[in-house]
Amino acid sequence: MHWIALQPLPEPAGLEEGSGPAAQDTQAASADGASPVLADALTALGWWALQFTPKVAQIDGEAGQGVLVMEVSASERLFGGRKQLLRRIYQSNKPVALVKYAQAATSLIAIAKLQVESPAAAASRLSTNAHANIRRPPASQRDGLHGQQSDHLPPSLPDSPPDILPIATLAAARPHLPTLARIGCTTWGQLRALPRGGVVRRFGAELLDALDRAYGTKPELYPWLELPEVFEAKLELTARIDNAPALMFGARRLLAQLQVWLLLRQRGILALELGWELDARRQDASTGHLVLRTAEPTLDMGHVQRLLAEHLARVTLHAPALYLRLRSLETAALPGITSSLLPDDVRQGDSLHHLLERLSARLGADHVLCTVPFADHRPERMQVWQAASPMSSAAAMAAVPPPASTSAFFTKNTKKIANYSYLTRAIGKNDAQKRQKPGTRPITRADALYPTWLLTQPLKLAVRDNAPQCAQGGPLALLAGPQRVEAGWWSVQKSDASPSAPCALRDYFLARSEQMGLVWIYRERLGGRGKAGQSVQSRADSGTGQNAEWYLHGLFA
Amino acid sequence: MSKPLSIEPLQGIPSVWRADALADSAGLVVATGSSVLDAQLPGGGWPVGSAVEILQAHSARQASHCEWRLLLPALIHLSHLTPASSGALVLVGAPHAPFCPGLAGQGLDTQRLLCIATTTSASRLWATEQALRCADVAAVLAWLPHVRSEQLRRLQMAATVHTKLLFVMRPAQAQAESSPAALRLLVAIQADSDALELHILKRRGPPLAQPLLLPARPARLAALLAIQSGPLRQPSQGIEADHAPAVPATPAAIYTLPKAGHALDRIAAAA
Repeated sequence: MHWIALQPLPEPAGLEEGSGPAAQDTQAASADGASPVLADALTALGWWALQFTPKVAQIDGEAGQGVLVMEVSASERLFGGRKQLLRRIYQSNKPVALVKYAQAATSLIAIAKLQVESPAAAASRLSTNAHANIRRPPASQRDGLHGQQSDHLPPSLPDSPPDILPIATLAAARPHLPTLARIGCTTWGQLRALPRGGVVRRFGAELLDALDRAYGTKPELYPWLELPEVFEAKLELTARIDNAPALMFGARRLLAQLQVWLLLRQRGILALELGWELDARRQDASTGHLVLRTAEPTLDMGHVQRLLAEHLARVTLHAPALYLRLRSLETAALPGITSSLLPDDVRQGDSLHHLLERLSARLGADHVLCTVPFADHRPERMQVWQAASPMSSAAAMAAVPPPASTSAFFTKNTKKIANYSYLTRAIGKNDAQKRQKPGTRPITRADALYPTWLLTQPLKLAVRDNAPQCAQGGPLALLAGPQRVEAGWWSVQKSDASPSAPCALRDYFLARSEQMGLVWIYRERLGGRGKAGQSVQSRADSGTGQNAEWYLHGLFA
Repeated sequence: MSKPLSIEPLQGIPSVWRADALADSAGLVVATGSSVLDAQLPGGGWPVGSAVEILQAHSARQASHCEWRLLLPALIHLSHLTPASSGALVLVGAPHAPFCPGLAGQGLDTQRLLCIATTTSASRLWATEQALRCADVAAVLAWLPHVRSEQLRRLQMAATVHTKLLFVMRPAQAQAESSPAALRLLVAIQADSDALELHILKRRGPPLAQPLLLPARPARLAALLAIQSGPLRQPSQGIEADHAPAVPATPAAIYTLPKAGHALDRIAAAA
């Protein structure tokens, strides 16, 4: 059995005056600015320790000085031996910047060493001894970056027999310290030399029990640390933070903790909530929160960070923020990814849903669009533009499989376009051969007369001598048409003559102008949209072509 | 008299080429779908991994958008090469809405289209760069009217690092400015005939004296229009027939109407 005891030290910024020699030491050593403080540093450290061994336990000491003990003998082989494992534990990034270590054969000895050594360590730091027991990672490392790791381990102290440890370091002996001192018992060895029966009668069985556990003659059992179902962590912001983007600095630290939690639970985050508490003296609404969702469960905190930064950029804080809170709302099991041996197989760049989420976060979801075909005769309704969030596109794909959707769309249109389907059959055959994908699309397509650009608002054209004129001047020569579209009248009957009635009574023509090349124009029949319920008289008038309205609707590019 | 310096040792270096010949393309190319254009481009196609600049007139009198005509064959070809999940085509700041039935009619898989509608120049640049960095994007079409040379260089670098097909659409006024793009084209529609006039402003090779003429219409549309205008008209001389085999049908064979046709649905010849 090999136990390691860890104790997070209070960090310089959140330090109260005079909370121990070690703390003073670190305060003296730190000159950098205020960094936010994890509200529950011990738990954060415990989660971090869980990646090395499942046997991690929190022991609450006096005055909030909790200690973490971990038993690592079972995982030594996995990490390549005890030395390698210890190097990893001591030198990897931890959620808490300042940690004190001690190791021993039993947890109680390790804890005792931890308490014994702190003044000595302080002394050794003051004398600039290289064997400092308190390790301060460089500032870059504390910010989550991988700084240069120094190569030396904390000194493995000479395995002094536990007999010489002061009796005050045994937690079970603390209530009896005055009595023990008066009978001249100051070390563990002296206590152990006392007759067992007498000790039990005088001090109770707990003391002897603890002594037996400390010497390894009884098994040590702790309530082992378990990960909660829902991640929730709080961070105290020690500096005044007035603008929301600056919250990112603290959020990064919570995200690192979240990543540890996700890794251990083997899950990916789907939704999380970042909340903050504002200074209540300034504003009534003293809390705020931001919910972030991703399309696929992710462990990639870099992506979450970027999304969070985009969202925070739009938040205004009405008062300085005091606390930051991160909570997981939704997670999903994340299967492991088999990494490739070959370097070529490593994909360059991020995936499409990362891109979509990042674009939607900054530009707004309604600015990142994908298209879904829709069965309608009106060109402006043949395609539906929808926000291209991965969730919606996945849903759309599930609803209509891609090849089926296009074919369904076009077969529904065949009635209208049957007149030139013979032509597309003749020409499309060669297309299909060229495409080498027979069967994916119907050969009967009559979309050759469709433009490639569609104007969102049809542009009204000037009319001279009953002929439409190009927007830049000059006549338009009609090349093909008319293609008659009459659709949407069913929706007009309910709300008559509304200006936005989607009724379309149009004759589409393919026209050409010297300035613009090929264009797609239409002529409003029967006096235009919204007037579908006209009398027979006006129909007869419009048949003569008087006052016909022409619109530019598409461009062939 | 010393022997003239031999360039034989330099032959294998992709960035060194003879002044009178086209450079070998260092990277991948995607065929343009037009053999005339392929013959004039280094490597025989659109270069993957470097910016291609397409300049078009955007004046008030004449606003032409010939992007699709020029790029569609390559984009269709590209979409056949890549699986649907990783071949997104990103349009950044398109001038109009792309009409997907028309594009699908020419063979493009419109499910891959991703339109990013932004107006500000900065966000267009940002979106373009983000799209280039994405592994699942096959090609990026960006309309950047006000892009500066150093910004274009940054996009060019992103395209190179992530080997993406990048087309940057700019107004014709930008042709005097310097540009880091490896290939610059000026496209215009000929007023009298329906041909695309293509000036290659910059390429890795000798300057091109004569503009290239490409057919401005897809083969099917051209065939349809030819039938509409009465007797079959051959494409004018000098215009390549766009790979489509000669329209096999004589008018008599074509005008046999299918049964499903409705009299009112028929395309009438324009008066």
